[in-house]
Amino acid sequence: MTPDPRDTVLDHGLLAEGTFEPGEAPAGIRRAPTGIDQLATEHLIVNVGPQHPSTHGVLRIVAELDGEEIVNAEAAVGYLHRGIEKLGEHRRYHQLATLMDRGDYVSGIHGELAAALAVERLMEIEVPRKAQWLRCLMSELNRIASHMVWYGTFGLDIGAMGQFLYAMRDREAILDILEEVTGQRMMFNYVRPGGVLEDLPAGTEEKIRAFLRTIDGYLDEHDALLGGNEIFLKRVRGVGTIDRETALSFGLTGANLRASGVPYDVRRDQPYAAYDELEFDVPVGATGDAHDRYLVRMEEMRQAVRMIRQCVDGMPEGEVMAKVPKVLRPPAGEIYACVESSRGELGVHLVSDGSDTPERFHYRGPSLFAMQVLEEIMPGTLFADGMMLIGSVDVVLGEIDR
Amino acid sequence: MLPDATRVKSLLSHFDGVEVETTTLGVVARVAAADVPSALGTLKASDLDFVMLVDLLGADTGEEIEITYHLRSFSRDEELFVKTRLPYDGVLISVWNSFASALLPERETAELFGLTLAGHPNPKRLLTIEGEAPLLRKSVAIRTLEEVRDR
Repeated sequence: MTPDPRDTVLDHGLLAEGTFEPGEAPAGIRRAPTGIDQLATEHLIVNVGPQHPSTHGVLRIVAELDGEEIVNAEAAVGYLHRGIEKLGEHRRYHQLATLMDRGDYVSGIHGELAAALAVERLMEIEVPRKAQWLRCLMSELNRIASHMVWYGTFGLDIGAMGQFLYAMRDREAILDILEEVTGQRMMFNYVRPGGVLEDLPAGTEEKIRAFLRTIDGYLDEHDALLGGNEIFLKRVRGVGTIDRETALSFGLTGANLRASGVPYDVRRDQPYAAYDELEFDVPVGATGDAHDRYLVRMEEMRQAVRMIRQCVDGMPEGEVMAKVPKVLRPPAGEIYACVESSRGELGVHLVSDGSDTPERFHYRGPSLFAMQVLEEIMPGTLFADGMMLIGSVDVVLGEIDR
Repeated sequence: MLPDATRVKSLLSHFDGVEVETTTLGVVARVAAADVPSALGTLKASDLDFVMLVDLLGADTGEEIEITYHLRSFSRDEELFVKTRLPYDGVLISVWNSFASALLPERETAELFGLTLAGHPNPKRLLTIEGEAPLLRKSVAIRTLEEVRDR
């Protein structure tokens, strides 16, 4: 076989003869024209964030790229560090809820609930049944509102736009309800140790029922709009797979863990509030890729709607607040209380010394652990898919930095 | 659910000075700081099947830093807390070989309590910039004396 003349060129390149000695460039020329070696590639370090639309706040990802492919990634955080844990040591127990709101600011009710549960368990406060049901109702409303943000921005990360507008439409409907009940759209301060702030005001129940009449159809539309999109499916199927072992080893919780096939849900396995009285299913994924995480969260919204229906229909009568002292002084001791927030297991670890402020107040944010796994799953994917993966694990920077 | 305290104690019996007690927190095993990585590895590999490190936190007791490891077993639905104590200038030995979830919490704990990290693949500060005081120590006030006087 006669040799192809092109092989010779490729084998030896343009520097086949002679050695590389550019020497010093003569005056008037900035550098010796060494040409471009078309075959060599150089790794490029790209800082994504902290000010970047795909980083869901102020996450900074330092990515090492080989062409379009990520070979190494490091998450750099701290841009939203406010010292919530330190501030908590200087607040009374009633005031922890305001700090928790500013942790995971997209689903504040869950944070407040975790702090309230920790104090109640330490002081052995019996919470009225109606307050328990209101806590469930508000948690599930907040869960849909939070998942709507995830759903809208997850599509944005992939390049879709329409679903974001529809997601915000539904989220606003829920935030209107939450505002009517708590007085705030996001920083609720509604769940207090011993119960909740107020009963539902007059007319809110009808508003929730009106929301429930439309949401089923809307959820189907959402699923068809993004989940039925061929481009979306091509981008998420088989990308960013987190297997069961990795998920457990990185401490993932919530939808990320369930998508990897571990059927763990705090609401079912360590019931709090009134979840032991409600009926719901725990969706579980099969492979743990980005598509499974999408499917699990979409199903969680349907289950949340199911629970809201049960809460509205079965809402008991009675008090919404137990009799608790104006200043809470739990006995000395240590307690861990957790809830299933929109992002996973949100825990509060309290150490009390018997005074009116905590000795140590620790906030276990599920997003911190979800973000750690990015460093594991991003290498090997394309840069554009890396942005999609940040969206797929659903992190909120407020509870990573605290 | 609480694990069997005597079973935990017998699993950890070959480490010196192990104490297992049941408190308001749950079952707490106290282990010497140097033994923590191997003790956690033992618990993970045992039939108690503690496969996940849920959380890792430090606390300033006023005399030393107490580190708490929160373990969970899904197959048995049980939780265990492992505690160890470090002096203020102590070394926090990483457990990331057994539990990768410790990577960032360890960096955070070491930084906010002024500890040194050992055996960690990326022992950098996580939340604050170079030169910031160890914020979660009781000796670090949220306002300095001058700031309080100026108010």
